[in-house]
Order: sequence, then structure tokens, then C-alpha cells
Amino acid sequence: MRPSAGLLGVLLALAVLVSGLVQSTASKRCTQEENVRLLQGVVFHLGLSDLALSTEARYTRHPAISDSVVVSMDHPGAIDHFPSTFFWAPIRR
Amino acid sequence: MTMNSVGRLLNILDYALYALRRKLLKNVSVFCLFALVIFFLSSFLLVSKALTEAAQRILATAPDITVQQMSAGRQISIVASAANELSGIFGIEKIDERIWGYYFDESNGANYTVIGMRTPFVGSPAALQLGLAEGRLPALAEQGKVVISDNIRQHLQLGERKHFSLFRPDLSQAGFEIIGLFDKKLEIITADLILMTLADARDLFAIPEGYVTDLLVYVANPNEIDTVARKISDTLLGSRIITRNQILKTYKVVFNWRSGLGTICLLTALAAFVILAWDKASGLSQEERKEVGILKILGWQTSDLIFLRFCESLTVSLLAFLSGYVLAWVHVASFDGALFRPVFLGWSVVRPVFSLAPPFAVEDLLLVFTLSVIPYLCATAVPAWRAATVRADSVI
Repeated sequence: MRPSAGLLGVLLALAVLVSGLVQSTASKRCTQEENVRLLQGVVFHLGLSDLALSTEARYTRHPAISDSVVVSMDHPGAIDHFPSTFFWAPIRR
Repeated sequence: MTMNSVGRLLNILDYALYALRRKLLKNVSVFCLFALVIFFLSSFLLVSKALTEAAQRILATAPDITVQQMSAGRQISIVASAANELSGIFGIEKIDERIWGYYFDESNGANYTVIGMRTPFVGSPAALQLGLAEGRLPALAEQGKVVISDNIRQHLQLGERKHFSLFRPDLSQAGFEIIGLFDKKLEIITADLILMTLADARDLFAIPEGYVTDLLVYVANPNEIDTVARKISDTLLGSRIITRNQILKTYKVVFNWRSGLGTICLLTALAAFVILAWDKASGLSQEERKEVGILKILGWQTSDLIFLRFCESLTVSLLAFLSGYVLAWVHVASFDGALFRPVFLGWSVVRPVFSLAPPFAVEDLLLVFTLSVIPYLCATAVPAWRAATVRADSVI
């Protein structure tokens, strides 16, 4: 077999793998649909505004309704030291 | 394109693959580094996309308008009677009072979110929608009954016990009985929630009678939310009005390229790319010059040699791109972004269990491709041209 044919085979296999993973995630999303409706019900009845992802500080637990300036909010000159704020971008309304 | 020219291209490609195999260690190193960069970039993009999309879907039923009172730039309790002032605004369907706050558990360092509500939906079909795994919701007149998540039960180390106590601000203890547990499937929003009646939350936080944390306003016509919000803002001076659209907008921007990790991933990718480009552009070795000379003597044209280098770069970058992208999907969809999870959960003690299912978007695929493969190919174009224009008689 020519090396180029081998390369094309590997590239094709990887592309099929990507497509398979995307497909399997799409079916995972379908099975989650019922759960999303359940979550929407809880959000509606409890009036929730945020996801409970990072519970370490109020501005990471409730970014949607926390103070607009978070750095230095707890202590003068305090740096923003929580690891999760590396992931969470500043909010501009 | 004739069969002859296709055959010629395939022959050059074959030669490029043999050339890559000759410098196997170097090329495998470049491939691994490249795939790692693409893995991080793609993983970040997929995790961001999955979380943003989950927030948009789940919070689609958030309150139309949340009204809070501000004082000196901070949120304070709002007078419950403000609801009476708002009731005159045309378009408001209903206003719910709510007391909520954070409870820091000194024994384990966890933060719980306590929510106190009137629970008029007890006994109604709405109760089913709350998705309790077991038990029921507290009735309006009941005292000391709560619904918590299984996550909190474990942190409180309750085992099979149903009773626990929390401290009021004056350090006296408020006793509670668990009468219901949130379903584990709801952890993404209920992991740290303790749901109780409005009176119990008022008692726990020692909030004076007649005050609540915020008012939840529901508007009959969704098109009028902004108008109603403006009227509320005019009516209640010093208040902060947050509409559902603002909440959703927050979650659209909160996990994006401007966030810290995004910047780190991007800078890492750029740094890796600069190293690769530098390596490629740092000149030809004597051996490579000799190879070019021999090929030219054998009749290879400059365009063939440029194409040869292009094939080498394209092979490495395409293999790295697809491998990195496959690994990123496995990482996010099968392992729920395990490597990034400690970063975005931070120092949280209560950690929700949830699974990520990112949507596939062609634009994301193209973005990663454009940020990685295209610059690499561009960076290797000049060295390829330099290599191809070496005079045969100067190196042999």
C-alpha cells in the first residue's frame, strides 16, 4: 500500500471518529431534553437566576445578580484570588 | 486534472511521508505539541459552549424581572410593601416575595444557598415539576421543614438522620427537619440549595418583618418586560432591576475568550505556534540543503519542492488538528471536561455533579482550524520557498 493511501485512511478514520463523537453527543443531548424541562420547572417555581456551578463566592455563585464590580469587594485592595474567576469573564451589561 | 498530474501529486505526497519518517522524532514531537495545543483550545471552546448553551436553556424560565434594593452600591433588603406600589403598573401579572442568602458552614467550609419562598404550589401539579427525588415541599404554615440536595446531606454528614440545625446571626440554633430531597439530576441548579418557607428564612437570617431580599415580577406580555422594568425603576428609587434577558446575556458573555482561562489557552497556543514557526523558519540544515540539491539534479522543479514542503506541513498539521479535536470531544463529552472542572469549580466545597453535552458548530471547528492549521501552513511557506530556491551546485 502506498504511504499516501495510508495517510488518507488515517485522516478518514479520524474524521469518522469526530463525526461519531458528535453524533453520540447529539443523542446524549436528546436524552437530556426531559431533564432540561424539569430544570426549567424548578427555575420557574423557585425564581432562580443562576447555575450552581461555582459555590465558593457570591459573585461566582450568582454572577447574574451579584455586584457589578467584584474585585476588591470584600476587602480594600483585595485581589481577585478565586481560581474559578480565571474561567469566568467580567460581565458587561 | 489529468491522471498523470494526480499520480505526480501522489508521488510527491509519498515522498513527503517518507521524508517525515526519516525525521520521525522531530516530527512526532511537533505533532504531539500541536495536538496538545489544539486539544486545549478545542476543549475550552467546547466546555464554554456547553455551559453557555446549558445556561441559556435552563434559565429560559428565570423570573421576568428581579427587583432588588441598593444602598451605597450594595444590595440590601427591600421593603415587602414595595410590591403594593408596583401593583399599579399595568402589565404586571404577579409579584412574588423571596428571602434568600448564603449560609457558611464553618464545620466544612461549604457555602449553602438558602431560599425562603411562599410555596403556594404545594399539592398542585407544579410540585411534581420541582423534581423531588423523595419527600414533599414544605407547606405555607409549616415551621422548620426544608428540602435540600443530596450533596448538602452528604456535607452535613447526616446519614439517615432527618434533623440538623443552623446558626442564626446571634449564634442561637435554628432546627430543621428534611422533608424532601432534590433529584440528583437537578444538581446543576440545586447542588447548594436549602429550600424553606419565607418565615423560616426570615428567622434564620434575622431579617426584620416586612422586609424581603428581592421581589420577583412576572409580566403578562413578554414584549413589555423592558417597559415594565423601566416603570419599576422609576417607581422604586435606588432599586436594581434585572430582567431575564440580562441574566441570559450575562451567561452568554461569562464563559468566553475574554475569560482568564481562554486567554491562557490562547497565549499558550500562540507561544507554541511561535516556537513551531521559529523552528521551521530557523534555516535549513546541511542535510536538508543536500537533499534539495540532489532532488534538483534529478529533475525536480522549484514548484515541486515547495509542494513537497507544503505536503509535509499539511500532513503534520491535519493529523494534529484531527487528533487534538477528537481528544477534546472525548474529554468534554465523555469525561465532562475533567481537566477544566477544578478550574471552573474553583475552591467550592459543594461541587455539583452534572454532565456536559456541547452542541456541534461548524464555526467552532473552523475557528480552531483557522487559529492553528492556517498560521502553521503560512509560517512554513517562506522556509519552504527558501529551501526550494537553493542552487544545486552550491550544496553538492
